[in-house]
Amino acid sequence: MKLLLIYICKAQIKLVLYTFKLFSALFILSFLVACTSYSTNFSVIEQHIKQQHPELALQALEKQPDSKLNKLLYLLNKASLQRMNQNFQASNASFEQAKRLIDKLYGISVRDQVGSFALNDTTKVYRGDDHEQVLIHLYSALNYLALSQLDDARVEALQVDLKLTDLASRKPANNPSVYVEDAFSRYVTGMIYEELKEWSDALIAYRKSYEAYKKYAETFNTSIPTFLKRDLLRLLDKQGIKDEFEHYKATFKLNGWLSAKELSNYGELIFLLHNGLSPIKRESTITTASPSLKRLISIALPTYERRMAGSKSARISIAEQESKTQLVENIEAIAIKSLESQMPAITARALARAVLKYQMAKKVEQEQGGLLSVIVNVANMVTERADTRSWLTLPENIQLARIAVKPGIYDVKIEILNASNRVMDSFLVKDISIKRGKKTYLEKYWLNPQS
Amino acid sequence: MKSIRPLIQFIFILTLAIGMSACGTKVSRIDVTEVRDLSGNWNDTDSRLVSEEMITDVLSRAWLPTYKAKQNKLPVVIVGEIRNLSHEHINLSTFIRDMERALVNSGQVEFVASSNERGDIRTERKNQDMHSREDTRKAMGQEIGADFMLKGTINTIIDQEGKTAIKFYQVDLDLISMTDNRKVWIGQKKIKKVVKKKALRF
Repeated sequence: MKLLLIYICKAQIKLVLYTFKLFSALFILSFLVACTSYSTNFSVIEQHIKQQHPELALQALEKQPDSKLNKLLYLLNKASLQRMNQNFQASNASFEQAKRLIDKLYGISVRDQVGSFALNDTTKVYRGDDHEQVLIHLYSALNYLALSQLDDARVEALQVDLKLTDLASRKPANNPSVYVEDAFSRYVTGMIYEELKEWSDALIAYRKSYEAYKKYAETFNTSIPTFLKRDLLRLLDKQGIKDEFEHYKATFKLNGWLSAKELSNYGELIFLLHNGLSPIKRESTITTASPSLKRLISIALPTYERRMAGSKSARISIAEQESKTQLVENIEAIAIKSLESQMPAITARALARAVLKYQMAKKVEQEQGGLLSVIVNVANMVTERADTRSWLTLPENIQLARIAVKPGIYDVKIEILNASNRVMDSFLVKDISIKRGKKTYLEKYWLNPQS
Repeated sequence: MKSIRPLIQFIFILTLAIGMSACGTKVSRIDVTEVRDLSGNWNDTDSRLVSEEMITDVLSRAWLPTYKAKQNKLPVVIVGEIRNLSHEHINLSTFIRDMERALVNSGQVEFVASSNERGDIRTERKNQDMHSREDTRKAMGQEIGADFMLKGTINTIIDQEGKTAIKFYQVDLDLISMTDNRKVWIGQKKIKKVVKKKALRF
């Protein structure tokens, strides 16, 4: 009996060691192959976008290796490139797939936790940052607006509200720098309701947008857009909410806004500039002292790096009217703040991982020594990688201009301006039709070709 | 230090299990009336429930015999806009089609092509005017004007807290008289579901 037990024990130890060896080999094999980080693999696509060839970028994206972990990123980039290509229907199909995937990825995954503890954060299935999940609905709504499917855009407006409500319930309210409300998504929602003549819903959306922009001004370097102030005044006036109207009138001190009745004789041009490219995550290795090991260890952490800056603003001319775009969504600032707020958790995970890996290497060295110990050490070094994944086809920021125009067909001139208001690039869009009481959406992606 | 081994074993077994579970596509056919809820979103079952309810309701109400007695002919209905005011991109045409089919087949109501459908037919008629033989040519201006228009909305109320969401759908359909805007029939179907998401995945 005793013999049998010893035999089983020995067999077990053998099995463990065998597993160990196999596992180490697997480590090296799989990760030497996938050694470059996600963000470095993206440069080909970035080049095509820079040269204004979204269709080539799309082809390059399709050629990238199919990865279950990065499926969401593939879908988001695909959707972005499809809409850059003016293929709004296909873009929405990709966004719908992305939404379903996010839904499926709800909850804590045991596999992800084990992987991120034993190897690194890139072994987790990518679920998207909070702001990325919200922007899916924003861009999807813009697609439906481009297709003149207002009711479908309204569906997205309701979904973005659900998403933001869910976000607010999960995040601590006392930290103002955390992204829980999306001012620009609320604003687009308001425009959708207003065009559908659902005045009270539009007013509520504009109010929420206004409250969110007040926070944006502090945290994301985005001031309250002038047109939002006009919209608030117009709708409060229309709904006859006197006290609030007077209060805002005194606060804003704005002249020359059109009342709802006056505006109903006009159509509106809504111009959106998707400016530059959002920042990219890079890996930086830092060496820090581990209190539990009493020695120095090195860990890999993600940091954001700014990509090519776009323009400062754009000037729109239509029917002898001129308007300059205003910053409405500073995606760069939101992304950087979002990573900042996740940093303590990411660092803690990296430290725990480093300790585990060190102990494992030590154990192997004591028990096996030699080659296996070297292999494990190399594996540990190679597998220490930062998660540099993010939605890379997002712009650096979104800017908007809203102009009331008499119904008719017009040519629209778009001039891209730099910080000193010099024209860097200009475009003429012909035959834009403006209809009474309707909004015409015009979008432009712009990247500085020189940067 | 000893605690590392079971962890490694665990990881290995887990990797193996995950690797093995991901092979092969399995297809099994099911009856169209079988209820299978996957995501909790609007699905075929909801669509079927709505159309069943609406069809029995619209055929059993007073507007039909009243109209037939008064006008001595079958009512002609056109499908107008059914607006989706819900939280989801819902395909409304499925239950509208179901309703059209059931009503036409009942022999008590006639349908004319809706505004989206008739474009094709008009183009074809114009084409016939140019290219078809005289005795087979269909003349223009012979369309039948509808007596009633079917309009409707689908609304949702969603209440969610963490993992749980309560979804409430309400489908309203109105049959409106083209002559005097009277609503002769109002159909309504409500559906309520509780959707619980998993907190843990493997």
